[in-house]
Amino acid sequence: MRFDEKESNEFPSLKRLSKVLPVYPDADQAMERLEEMLKRISTQKTPVSSFSRMWVLGSLQAKVAVAYLACWLRGRFAEAGEKERLRNETHLSAALQLLGAMGYLRGAVMKVGQMLANLPEVMPDEFAKVLSTLHFEAAPMHYALVREVFLDEFGHEPEDVFALFERRPFAAASLGQVHRARLHSGEDVAVKIQYPGIVGTIRADLRNLRLLLQPMRMTSDWPNLLDKLADIEQMLLMETDYLQEADFGKQLSNFFTPADRIVIPRIYRQYSTQRVLTTEYIHGCHLDEFLASDPGQELRDHFAHLITAATLRVFYRAHWLLADPNPGNYIFMDDGRLGLIDFGCTRQINDEEWELQLALEKAFLERDEIKMNGLIARACLYNSPEEMGAERLEIVGRGIRWQMEPWQTEGLFDFGDRDFFLRGVNNFLEIARRRYTRGMPVHIWSTRFILGARAMVFRLKGRCDFRKLYEQESNHT
Amino acid sequence: MRISEQAKQENRARILEKAAEIFADKGFDATTTRDIASTSGLAVGTLFNYFPSKETLAMTMVTEALGQGEEDFLRRRSEKEDLAEELFLFIASGLRRLRPLRPFLGPVLERSLSPFPRKNICPQGEATRLKHLSAVQRIISRHGFRDAPDFVAMTMYWSLYLGMLAFWTNDESPNQEATQALIDYSIRMFVQVISGVDTGAAHAV
Repeated sequence: MRFDEKESNEFPSLKRLSKVLPVYPDADQAMERLEEMLKRISTQKTPVSSFSRMWVLGSLQAKVAVAYLACWLRGRFAEAGEKERLRNETHLSAALQLLGAMGYLRGAVMKVGQMLANLPEVMPDEFAKVLSTLHFEAAPMHYALVREVFLDEFGHEPEDVFALFERRPFAAASLGQVHRARLHSGEDVAVKIQYPGIVGTIRADLRNLRLLLQPMRMTSDWPNLLDKLADIEQMLLMETDYLQEADFGKQLSNFFTPADRIVIPRIYRQYSTQRVLTTEYIHGCHLDEFLASDPGQELRDHFAHLITAATLRVFYRAHWLLADPNPGNYIFMDDGRLGLIDFGCTRQINDEEWELQLALEKAFLERDEIKMNGLIARACLYNSPEEMGAERLEIVGRGIRWQMEPWQTEGLFDFGDRDFFLRGVNNFLEIARRRYTRGMPVHIWSTRFILGARAMVFRLKGRCDFRKLYEQESNHT
Repeated sequence: MRISEQAKQENRARILEKAAEIFADKGFDATTTRDIASTSGLAVGTLFNYFPSKETLAMTMVTEALGQGEEDFLRRRSEKEDLAEELFLFIASGLRRLRPLRPFLGPVLERSLSPFPRKNICPQGEATRLKHLSAVQRIISRHGFRDAPDFVAMTMYWSLYLGMLAFWTNDESPNQEATQALIDYSIRMFVQVISGVDTGAAHAV
């Protein structure tokens, strides 16, 4: 279903439906209304794949954010009794289907929804795989459409801009696709092209989702839900600005030297616009292909080291989170170097957040539990651990301590350890289920980042001396 | 005094140029034939020798732009395109030539291309419609269809095309990129209808 600013003529119109919903002071009745609406919508046929654009969320951040949202919705219904719960599960599925009806979210939401529907039986391996495989899909553009984008962005056809331009894409990208080309000066480049009209689609779809969820406006969770939706929207829109991504990439390259064995592709600004990004072409493979070659432990550890080093370098020197750590953004090069691509989603840590981060690290390393609890409460926007409550403090604190375990471990840390990964996943799901997600906005990003990055190194089964790398990068002056 | 053929052509070109300027400035409905004649340096009666009505004049602009678009399409076509891609290229080439006329094109198209029953059918509009459909049928036949699509399919196509044009004239997105997405989607749907083939997968990585 697609909607634009004007009233949709499609049946049922969400706007029309939400308008007839009365404003009930009693939230339960408002929820009943939502259920009735969802029941109606769930009986509608969804378009078959050949008629619809099966776009998938590109960024891991956005996918996990939707998972958060779905879990939150699920948790909302879970408070009811058994009979209600069974009925509510149907409606949750319908809500997820509706989320899935939003063009570019469809595939990801359906997969995440199916996975969440199987809780708590989902296994960590499956979880990791689902998160990491939700990438490589985008609306395919034929060459005629690519040409139109070029005519609008450069005033010329691709063959006039580049010496050579491959008509077929070689990779999918979030919200677009990537073609190989060659500059007139001879360099091989990767040209990422965005599907037209994405920004309008994202804004319209999220506006309609907010409308759909209007009955929840009577509940105390409404402001929090709005925050989450605003967060998702911000993340998705950030990915549509390729010029901003080009700037990030350029700044990032200043942090690495050839000795680091980490390659940030050169940005060709004169061949880049808001919707087209041209970068150096990096030869290598992604995680799946790398794993299929059955690499030895030494090579796995080598790349785990590089992935960790790159992340910590950017975090401690630039105070940035590379907020989309999915396998598609890493290239395992034949000569052992690691390529980092796609900086569409980047979060700057501000001074207050950074100060809290350092305080948490210090308290954790010094094993000062009282101080830790105070900082955890502060991170969750409570005045004190008492105000936060013992149960919430314990569960959220357990997650933060899990995140920081590698900081404390001397020698090689095994990110491929299944129990370790399982603990993190279970904690994440528990937090989402209990809706203990209140916190400083940055921690939503950092939690997702860590979960995504660890899912990847879990699949890699890599180990590295995290503590040593941390000391190296955090002490750099 | 008899006017030379060259002078006639120059007058005609000047009328079209000036009319486009005034239409863009005042809007199609607010512009009168007197306005056009005046800025073209002609009497109203003389103007009517070239174009019997404001609508015919505007539709002539459209027809000529679409004609240039078709030339662009034929030049740009590589013969490697599948049906959906080729139809997209044809429509997009036409729209790119229509772009300078977009600010005032809505009322023009509504008057001249409306599919609803009307007392007076614009002959120029009808000619444009037939020319466009004929080009579409040639494209379709190039892709292995032995028989031309039937009346229902072509009516469906024309409805889609008018919808695209209507959307495009209202599209405020940068470079009307929302229309590009709509055309892509619509054409895939049309090709699916006439061929039963999902063309999306062919372009996927």
